[in-house]
Amino acid sequence: MSAGLVLAVAFGGSLITYILGKVSSRIRDVFAVLVSLALVAMIALLLAGDGGNSSYFDFLGLSLLLRTNMLSLFFAITISVLGALSIIFSLSYIRNRERTDFYYLMLLLINAAMLGIVLSGDLLSFFIFWEIMSWSTFLLISYNRGAALAAGMKYIVMSIFGSLAMLVGVISIYTKFGTLNISEIAAVIEQAGSGYVVSLLILFFTAFGIKNAILPFHSWLPPAHAEAPSPFSSILSGILIKMGTYGFILFMYVIVGVNRFIDIGHGVLSFRYILSILGAITILIPTFIALLQDDAKKLLAWSTIGQAGYIILGIAFGTSVSVAGGMFHFFNHSVFKGLLFLAVGAVEYRTNGVRDLNSLGGLIKKMPVTFTGALIGACGLIGLPLTNGFVSKWLIYKTLILEQSPFLAFAALFGTWGTILYSYKLIHNVFLGQLPERYADIRKSPLSMQLPIITLSSIIILFGIFPGVPLKIINSIGVSLGFDALDVSLWGIASESGTLNVINLFAAIIIGAVLAGIVLKAAPKSVTVSQEDTYAAGAAIPKDRYNYTMNFYNPVSRMISPYLKDFIDAFYMKLAGWTQGVCSGARRIYTGYVGHYVMYIVLLLAVLIFVQLRWSPW
Amino acid sequence: MDRNQLIKWLKEPAKMGHKYSLHAVYFCTGCGIIEVPPSITARWDAERFGVLPVATPRQANLFLITGYVSVKTLKAIIRTYEQMPEPKYTVGFGSCPINGGMYWDSYNTIKHLDKYIPIDGWIAGCMPRPEAIFVAVTHLWTLIDKDMADGYRRYRESYNEYRTNQEQVLGKLDWPPLFSIEGAR
Amino acid sequence: MQIVHIILSLLLALFIGIFFSGLSRKIMARIHWRYGPPITQPVIDLIRLFNQRGVSHGRLFDLGIILALAGSLVVVLLLPVGSIHPLSGSGGLLVILYMMLLAPLGIALSGGEAANPNTSIGISRKLLLAMGYEVPLLFILLAVMTHYKTISIVQIVGMQQETRWALVSLPMLLSGIAYILILPAVLGVRPFEIVQAPQEISSGPMVEFGGPFLGLAMIQHALGLYVGIALFVNLFLGGAGNPLTFFIKMLVVFVLGIFINAALPRLRIEQAIRYLWRWPTAFAFVGLVVVVLLR
Repeated sequence: MSAGLVLAVAFGGSLITYILGKVSSRIRDVFAVLVSLALVAMIALLLAGDGGNSSYFDFLGLSLLLRTNMLSLFFAITISVLGALSIIFSLSYIRNRERTDFYYLMLLLINAAMLGIVLSGDLLSFFIFWEIMSWSTFLLISYNRGAALAAGMKYIVMSIFGSLAMLVGVISIYTKFGTLNISEIAAVIEQAGSGYVVSLLILFFTAFGIKNAILPFHSWLPPAHAEAPSPFSSILSGILIKMGTYGFILFMYVIVGVNRFIDIGHGVLSFRYILSILGAITILIPTFIALLQDDAKKLLAWSTIGQAGYIILGIAFGTSVSVAGGMFHFFNHSVFKGLLFLAVGAVEYRTNGVRDLNSLGGLIKKMPVTFTGALIGACGLIGLPLTNGFVSKWLIYKTLILEQSPFLAFAALFGTWGTILYSYKLIHNVFLGQLPERYADIRKSPLSMQLPIITLSSIIILFGIFPGVPLKIINSIGVSLGFDALDVSLWGIASESGTLNVINLFAAIIIGAVLAGIVLKAAPKSVTVSQEDTYAAGAAIPKDRYNYTMNFYNPVSRMISPYLKDFIDAFYMKLAGWTQGVCSGARRIYTGYVGHYVMYIVLLLAVLIFVQLRWSPW
Repeated sequence: MDRNQLIKWLKEPAKMGHKYSLHAVYFCTGCGIIEVPPSITARWDAERFGVLPVATPRQANLFLITGYVSVKTLKAIIRTYEQMPEPKYTVGFGSCPINGGMYWDSYNTIKHLDKYIPIDGWIAGCMPRPEAIFVAVTHLWTLIDKDMADGYRRYRESYNEYRTNQEQVLGKLDWPPLFSIEGAR
Repeated sequence: MQIVHIILSLLLALFIGIFFSGLSRKIMARIHWRYGPPITQPVIDLIRLFNQRGVSHGRLFDLGIILALAGSLVVVLLLPVGSIHPLSGSGGLLVILYMMLLAPLGIALSGGEAANPNTSIGISRKLLLAMGYEVPLLFILLAVMTHYKTISIVQIVGMQQETRWALVSLPMLLSGIAYILILPAVLGVRPFEIVQAPQEISSGPMVEFGGPFLGLAMIQHALGLYVGIALFVNLFLGGAGNPLTFFIKMLVVFVLGIFINAALPRLRIEQAIRYLWRWPTAFAFVGLVVVVLLR
């Protein structure tokens, strides 16, 4: 059982799935599910075992390495579980579309590439897998054609820019240190000067920041996530963004090291502080832009950018509690954002592609399981107690407050209020309210869609009540990176300045609910009425028009939308337009008339001869 | 007023609760509503009896049908009455619900409201003064004490007759019957 | 011992909350120069409501209001009342802040299930108003937590008992003033009674609540009143050593709030948000800066 075997199964599985798809689609479906479940099982076995390096390929005199340690395996298990669940979801979602073999190939290939990224032990294989992931993502975002092509193009251009920055960084490391092995670089980078480390950090920050959609680099995310097919949107938001997070942790803590990283910079102008502030701004602005959205998937996409800000804030802040909170929030966010995208995807599937929040409503009566999943996902996103989101956010808040950064804490706490507003808007406009006449006949989600939704919901509640289970893994990762250990118990975290004990809260809520339920049952039994029998001042309900969904937050959206225009996106579009203008201007040199080309050659020769005669540089 | 007799509260809390917490639906059915704001404001304070106006029928248990009832208003009155939770009490306010009052020969008003929804009490007058409203409230308390304020039970038992009368004057009704033939919903 | 504390805490909260509801109607009536209902009128209303056959719109409708009441009961257990604090060791002020979200969420869910646009408008107003007062409230709470260097509310009360009330201690004065300015919004009394607004949106989220559901909503509202005032007393008026002093402090704050309620009309939601994001936020922000600079 080694990392090489995992990657072989992952890549081989994707190719074989494509080939099998040419034979029969049912065999291909079963095989795809089996491959993804096998990956989950293998990584779980690796998690129970212990780490180690394993070289697998020699290329140009460098040995490409794979390694497994707790950090890699933590990310790997998230990747494989979410990948398996979205493949199970795709069984129904993608059934009657065209090019389904291509879809499964790409989905499995992306999973394999992400596993390669987290399992790689040297920067070259990291870069190779990163590139495989980038272009296969582009192909799958553009799967739907139409508007998805433009979205994919925006994504790939920005992603290539980031990859080039990373390539420059990798090459610079190789020329300076002569090795690309991560552990060797970590040992030898202490000799490098601060300026060099900061420039490396900035290069890699560009690459990982673009992937992680931190604020100046976030423009590609909303159209890409909205136009991609829904099971892939859940992987995109859930785990692909977090490859940037993995890169950050790898570079900042594994390679540069905790102590060096915290000391870089002077006072306020340190890399860590600026990254924390960028994380805080990334929480605030996109969360409030999400309020103003009318498309369910765009709302969730902007929400992803906001939550990624929490993760970056936690990781960049640099204390053991905040890094634990950031990593736990990464895991939690994958679970509940994946769940929300799957729920919206189920609704989209049953209503034939409707994502517009202003025209849905009342679907709780027709799709109760999907509603419960979406509700639990929304509760996790908000960070209600008893969900895992609460524990990770509590950790981040506590450390920000106790380390005397109240303004960053304010950004984190106020971001939660924006989250509450848009989560309720999503739940209300899709599932609550009056059921329109045209959706009166839709059926429940199929079983293959309900299964991932139920699984993810149970993970949210389970790790909300027993947060100790993932926290122990995160604690060991933190210790291996060089932070202090936390006092983790099954039900929370203890410390001298405030304990978290989730089981008490859970018991209290259950007892409170039981008491309230008893009081309700003791009263006379109530009469159940249909949605037509609701208060309308004695009049009949106007059919299909008695639902309040448009301009749901009208009063405040008028106040804040002038401040929330996406300046950065407008800047990028202008930059692209300007580049296009320059290039089409430069294109006019090529007139297609050979006489002009001859004239260019003659003119250039004349200039060169003149320069040689006058100044003789050659 | 026996509100401060603790023994009665302990013996029959439901009846005492219904008596001293009559929340009226603030539905202005007709001209008689002009006498209601004076009775709920400072001069003739209705809140000291526990009578309060509420916005929706779901929160109410008293329905004051103030003034004349045109055919259009009858639809709204029936809907509002059916949306109130049981037990509920209705009081006809003014002469028009009793026998047509001033509009006794109009083509557009209902002369005997009792045929369409059950009424527990009447207040004569055109308009009745606020003191008459309070006398009516105290009479309603007496009726509740003696279990004679059973309009809602009559509605449930003779629903077919009521619905037939309603259909006669309003044509086909666009809401389903509140109770089935057997009696319970 | 813990069980006794829990039961005592809940009974105290229910009694104080319902007493305050009745007291508010009596005081408002006396301000209007009329007699008003007896102080026990909310109890009479509750008895009547629990003897009516309510109307329900489905399972989520029932579960939503139960969740709201459960959330309020848990927050009550987390707040110290004098020396009674059953659950306060389970996460501190941050847990209280997030448990306070369960009640509006429960009412929002059961209101959404009622399929009525009045509920939806009411809930969107409730969430917007909450977002409005959260900006200054977060600055105030951060100032408190930074000044006392803890997130546990019992320790904050203890430190105030040893030195002096936060309201009169110099670094926290501006935050205290800001909290007084936003207290009517937190409690939901006029001029911020925007969520209920019976004349505008027919009681907002409670438009379809009848019978026992309305009774539970009334109890939840009473507990919400209790929680809002108790939080202020604990954080800025020094808490208390025993429940009686605590009750007297709460009574003073509540009566002042009722006087404001009786005198002012209702603001529109955008006027309310504009007010809350202007002077109270300015005071709270400057208060936080002062605390950070003086630490």
